[in-house]
Amino acid sequence: MALEEVYKGENVDEVVELLDKYGKDAKIIAGGTDIVIDLRNNRIDPKVLIDISSIEELKGIKDKGEYIEIGAGVSFTQVVENPLFERNLYGLNKACHMVGSPQIRNKGTLGGNIANGSPAADSIPPLICLNSTLILKSVRGRREISIEDYYKDENEKIRPDELLVSIGFKKPKENQVLSFAKLGLRKALAISRLSIAILVELDEEGKIINIEVASGSLGKYPMRELELEQFLLGKKLEDSTVDEGVLVLQRAMEKRLAGRSTFPYKRVAVDRMFREALEEAMKYLDEVRL
Amino acid sequence: MKEIQLNVNGKDYSLNIDENMRLIDLLRDKLGLLGTKEGCGEGECGACTVIMDGETVTSCLVMAFQAHGSEILTIEGLESNGKIHPIQQAFIDVGAVQCGFCTPGMIMSAKALLDKNPNPTREEIREGISGNLCRCTGYNKIVDGVELAINYIEEGK
Ligand code: FES
Ligand code: FES
Repeated sequence: MALEEVYKGENVDEVVELLDKYGKDAKIIAGGTDIVIDLRNNRIDPKVLIDISSIEELKGIKDKGEYIEIGAGVSFTQVVENPLFERNLYGLNKACHMVGSPQIRNKGTLGGNIANGSPAADSIPPLICLNSTLILKSVRGRREISIEDYYKDENEKIRPDELLVSIGFKKPKENQVLSFAKLGLRKALAISRLSIAILVELDEEGKIINIEVASGSLGKYPMRELELEQFLLGKKLEDSTVDEGVLVLQRAMEKRLAGRSTFPYKRVAVDRMFREALEEAMKYLDEVRL
Repeated sequence: MKEIQLNVNGKDYSLNIDENMRLIDLLRDKLGLLGTKEGCGEGECGACTVIMDGETVTSCLVMAFQAHGSEILTIEGLESNGKIHPIQQAFIDVGAVQCGFCTPGMIMSAKALLDKNPNPTREEIREGISGNLCRCTGYNKIVDGVELAINYIEEGK
């Protein structure tokens, strides 16, 4: 490690100025749960490390009426313990609860998970279903990018002089629900990671009038499953529809993963994960209807 | 070199540290607090668990400079007036310690759990120590130990 300088950032303004000065030579560290390992394995080799873990303005979960903003320094534990993510947003709670261990959840952040672009970022699919926006700051000002584009579009990245300050999304309506399912494995078995998030709304007859499905580890990065969404939209969730939906999803993932050693396993596992996420969503919707 | 101030086990320190030093290195090499163990060095085993500002962290994944201004509690900080902590006593009494390598981290996780939730179920205890691996005990004795510690703490032992 050739670290020359380390800074303990006290506020966002100070950090963006440091980023402006050092650019690519600097790396932001928050919880450290990925970065410290990367540093020690020489996967990254920054000259400057800027810690943002003590910056209060990055550590808040803000309820702005129709919107929620999660600061980039908010830990997974903070999300899990926040009542905002209990009812129809519980999929995000569940995703954060299934990250690592208590110690990792105490330090690790959603912001870090995003900014490090970890391909196996299991906590991301719920944020994609919510059409979240990443809010970035630099000395040049403020910029927003959609989380979906951030993952799929080469040109929509966080620039070296930008700091991810928060993740924002619109609250789902009372009759919509966000659910989540993930293979619950530790890092030792990380090869077979897989997660599915669903945001769904039904009309009075039980037909799907809104659906977003996002997956983790079914491709190069977390992504929307558009073919499955299109297939499900307007349909009632009968057993045959769900069975067919699984096939649609399996065909879509096959295009991306065929030939990889993990494909046969993931193909089977995704069936279970999709059904689990769907069942949990339906359970919630049944309850609010009663 | 970077100068930082932090509080460890109730004592204030001002230290010059290497930029790339981790918290675990600071505790073991600078302060000689050898109770905190390094197993995997990757956040998986929990042997290096300490309590930082009230929450458990794996000290192998915290850079030492990040701890500037923090309060750290390690296993050595649990004794008071020459008496070990009720959780430590309970671990001894039920035989929750075999080789002992996981024990300090395990006890720090148990302490953080009981500080938050003084009366956890067995399930909650298992969840609370789920970030701490033990290759000897099979965990049952450890969960027994935490349960006994709940009694000891209530009795003010
Ligand atoms: S040594 Fe830190 S978690 Fe294993
Ligand atoms: S007692 Fe040996 S690892 Fe737990």
